[in-house]
Amino acid sequence: MSTLAQTESGTPTTCAGPASTQDLGSSYGDCLQGECSRKPDQKLPELYGVGDPVMFSSNSSYLSSRGRMIKWFWDSAEEGYRTYHMDEYDEDKNPSGIINLGTSENKLCFDLLSRRLTQPDMQWVEPSLLQYPDWRGHLFLREEVAKFLSFYCKSPAPLKPENVVVLNGCASLFSALATVLCEAGEAFLIPTPYYGAITQHVHLYGNVRLAYVYLDSKVTGTDTRPFQLTVEKLEMALQEATSKGVKVKGLILINPQNPLGDVYAPGELQEYLVFAKRYWLHVVVDEVYMLSVFEKAVGYRSVLSLERLPDPQRTHVMWGASKDFGMSGLRFGTLYTENPDVATAVASLCRYHGLSGLVQYQMAQLLRDRDWINQVYLPENLARLKAAHTYVSEELRALGVPFLSGGAGFFIWVDLRKYLPEATFEEELLLWRRFLDKKVLLSFGKAFECKEPGWFRLVFSDKAHRLRLGMQRVRQVLEEKAQVAEDPPPCQTQEPSDQRR
Amino acid sequence: MSHQSGTFPAPCGQKACQVLKDRNICIQVLVMIQHLQRRVDEHLKQLPTTRQRLHLPKQKQAQSTHEQEALLDHLIRQMVNFLKSRATGGLEQQVSLLSLECRGNVRSAQRAQSSRQPGQLVLQWSDIEPAFVSHDLSNRGSEICVLYHSSFQDYNAYQGDKYQEDKNTLGFINLGTSENKLCIDLITERLGQSDMNCIEDVLLQYPDWRGQPFLREEVARFLTYYCKAPAQLDPENVVVLNGCCSVFSALAMVLCDPGEAFLVPTPFYGGFAFSSHLYAKVELLPVHLESEITEANTHPFQLTVDKLEHTLLQARFMDKKVRGLVLTNPQNPLGDVYSRESLKEYLEFAKRNDLHVIIDEIYMLSVFDESITFHSVLSMERLPDPNRTHVIWGTSKDFGISGFRFGALYTHSKEVASAVGSFGYLHSISGITQHKLCQLLRDREWIDTIYLPTNHFRLQKAHAYITNTLQSLRIPFLCRGSGLYIWINLKKYLNPCTFEEERLLHRRFLDNKLMLSCGKAYMCKEPGWFRLVFADRPLRLKLAILRFCEVLEEQKQDWKEKQLADAMKE
Repeated sequence: MSTLAQTESGTPTTCAGPASTQDLGSSYGDCLQGECSRKPDQKLPELYGVGDPVMFSSNSSYLSSRGRMIKWFWDSAEEGYRTYHMDEYDEDKNPSGIINLGTSENKLCFDLLSRRLTQPDMQWVEPSLLQYPDWRGHLFLREEVAKFLSFYCKSPAPLKPENVVVLNGCASLFSALATVLCEAGEAFLIPTPYYGAITQHVHLYGNVRLAYVYLDSKVTGTDTRPFQLTVEKLEMALQEATSKGVKVKGLILINPQNPLGDVYAPGELQEYLVFAKRYWLHVVVDEVYMLSVFEKAVGYRSVLSLERLPDPQRTHVMWGASKDFGMSGLRFGTLYTENPDVATAVASLCRYHGLSGLVQYQMAQLLRDRDWINQVYLPENLARLKAAHTYVSEELRALGVPFLSGGAGFFIWVDLRKYLPEATFEEELLLWRRFLDKKVLLSFGKAFECKEPGWFRLVFSDKAHRLRLGMQRVRQVLEEKAQVAEDPPPCQTQEPSDQRR
Repeated sequence: MSHQSGTFPAPCGQKACQVLKDRNICIQVLVMIQHLQRRVDEHLKQLPTTRQRLHLPKQKQAQSTHEQEALLDHLIRQMVNFLKSRATGGLEQQVSLLSLECRGNVRSAQRAQSSRQPGQLVLQWSDIEPAFVSHDLSNRGSEICVLYHSSFQDYNAYQGDKYQEDKNTLGFINLGTSENKLCIDLITERLGQSDMNCIEDVLLQYPDWRGQPFLREEVARFLTYYCKAPAQLDPENVVVLNGCCSVFSALAMVLCDPGEAFLVPTPFYGGFAFSSHLYAKVELLPVHLESEITEANTHPFQLTVDKLEHTLLQARFMDKKVRGLVLTNPQNPLGDVYSRESLKEYLEFAKRNDLHVIIDEIYMLSVFDESITFHSVLSMERLPDPNRTHVIWGTSKDFGISGFRFGALYTHSKEVASAVGSFGYLHSISGITQHKLCQLLRDREWIDTIYLPTNHFRLQKAHAYITNTLQSLRIPFLCRGSGLYIWINLKKYLNPCTFEEERLLHRRFLDNKLMLSCGKAYMCKEPGWFRLVFADRPLRLKLAILRFCEVLEEQKQDWKEKQLADAMKE
């Protein structure tokens, strides 16, 4: 409603709300940022939790103050989302529409999936699937998930179905974990840049905050690679949060990382876990891209593969079908935790985050079909990802654009700092808008809480023709920009340009 | 839950019993204090060693101390919770509580979903108990567990030990959960048809979080038709989530601030209490209705504007901010259908007081008595306050597919629709399911010529079977023509007529592997009412009635023996 100072601006790229805190203004641009545009991830104004929405008091609304706040955040994102959807690219109908290289979705294997999902075994209907379920997830599915994760995460011992909870997506899982592990106002540590939608996931119901562990691209003595997470940085961030009176309850790790496309080495992972144990922190490890490691040389290790977890009772792993099986619309997410209290507590919330019995059955069939996964789906998917990745990275190299890419995920983390006349997030936003004007949607670094302006996430897991057109548009913008800023500021930092691994 | 404290019935003339109860509570508390003390000792011992080992700087020391303080705080809270729950609970499980070993057993047994469930409070306790060991959950996390288990423990027991004709003839028969199991054959057949089986890329990709447009359009058409809306309903006013409890939860979030309240006439569907409290921390203020027919009450449990006004006034005295009124129509558990006039009065009352009205019409197509006309709020020519009237409907009851997880909101307020829509990604439905739902709702011919007539016929028959039995047993009940349940009065089997006795009788049913819901779960003001779900297969119904009669017979027998014993004493 208008009371929320939501500017109803006609220009498609404007979705700024009331810039009442400095941080806010610059983060609105991410409205159009792909998945973040659907799950708004604006940084919340400090001290204004959902339960304390002083700045949103208004008298002419049908909503509570909390409701107004929720809606306001949502609208500032929806606005942008609508813009994209009003002008979506379509080969035949709207060839000049916007190409979406912003949302992290795998659109490469739809043919394989639709063939598999239409096979007769997927059409099974039986009474128990139509009635109220075991809210943890049907036992047959939890058994299948346990087997699946045991195999693909290479767990030293078979994982147990009773440690599995099934929900309608990892967003719900973040929300539920935040609610049962933290009190309102408490926080999780999270290294940035990170998948920005988590902010909203943990906040909407849980009123839980994120305390950032800022990483930077500069390679120094202790940091042997850009955006390296170290225990020292974790310690510092924890201390800083504590000194501000924020109680930190846990650490969120995304592995393989989003947006860096990188994986943590087993040794590093162990260090982070030991750090967490030292401070009684829970660790939520989001492994939603675990099967999307397309470079063979990358030694990805799931946290479930570790021989001995430092603090198994406080280590909670999440996985889902959105990324690795390219089915974000299926809404399947799962938790694996050895802590029975946490499993039970999350399951207690499942009444609100349940998944249709029929879909649970289909999911179990899919996970069970090891032949199809190993011989058809995975090889083909990884080959297609790699091909798309090769195409985009070569394009970027040809453009002389530095980027990071660790051989996992659907995206490349692109360093466009030299195209910013000034190293500010305003300039970053302007560049992003320039891309949008040229009808290509990327996600900018601010949406991932990246500390340095000028980084963009580019999703490459799309069909060749769209990708080609998208890259053409990217090239256009960058070439015209390069002419404007003849003298790009020297990259004083070590060039993270060479593609790692 | 807040409502429990208010309705705690003090058993009159039961002083001896009360003393015994008090003494037992004292023992409990003593055990707990000892436990607490041991914990404190352990922590005190642990503190310096932790310090030495980790060389924690001051700040971190403070943090660890804080952690432990939090734990102690937690323990004390649990004692308080325990005392509170004792206050409403019974006596007979207390013995088992006294030994710690036993508690461990209960816990593991509960985890394994053992069929034999001891009393509710043991379960609550058993679920608080792990926190002593791990304290991994936040306070609200523990509370959620406790709340969940106290609300759904019987259901969980049932899930682990369901009656099955061929495999588990001694398992639970569930006449407690409101599910329609009469038309599974029709639905299964329909869902097996080829149009259901469609995979398109939009179904596998990130959806519109308010629901796929094709489904919202279909829901709007469906509601327009079956609610007899005077004008075409707008798909933009529809939000589709994974179940009506999700819709309710999201509505409570966006309509109220924490601590604010909704009015709700009792008895009412207990799930609302759970849904409003769980995330949203919204209170429900009961508008107590009575079974007795008086001048003001022309039929049992009649809702009148006077009663609404009265409760609202009381709330204002208590400084409670009331934001809305929750109505269920057809009513659950009463099976009543509101007349057009009374509906209008309630809505006007709400408008006068700037209250939202959430109206749950989830049983709207389960009106099986042809002589009854159901009036959806959406059929009204002019809603008194359209922007504050929010309708909930889903397929769980009317189509007997609770496992589908589908609930829809219809509201004229775009603002409310959009705010509820922002919860979409936490309550989303799989695209594949959305397609199936759309196909189902679209198939008007199947619904009108096959499904609804058959469903109503079967509901009528099952209803008649149960009501005839109840009549022959001389058990009073409300004979209504809608819903999947009958509200029955077992007062005469309670001696004395207290909630404690109601609970014991309920327990007795469970011990005989029969699930019913007791009136307390619906915040009914009068002890002795039960809700019995009749929408089940004849075979199971028959067996259930057998078990039901057994229990009542036992109950009578006990009563007689007790009377005899009392007489002997005198």
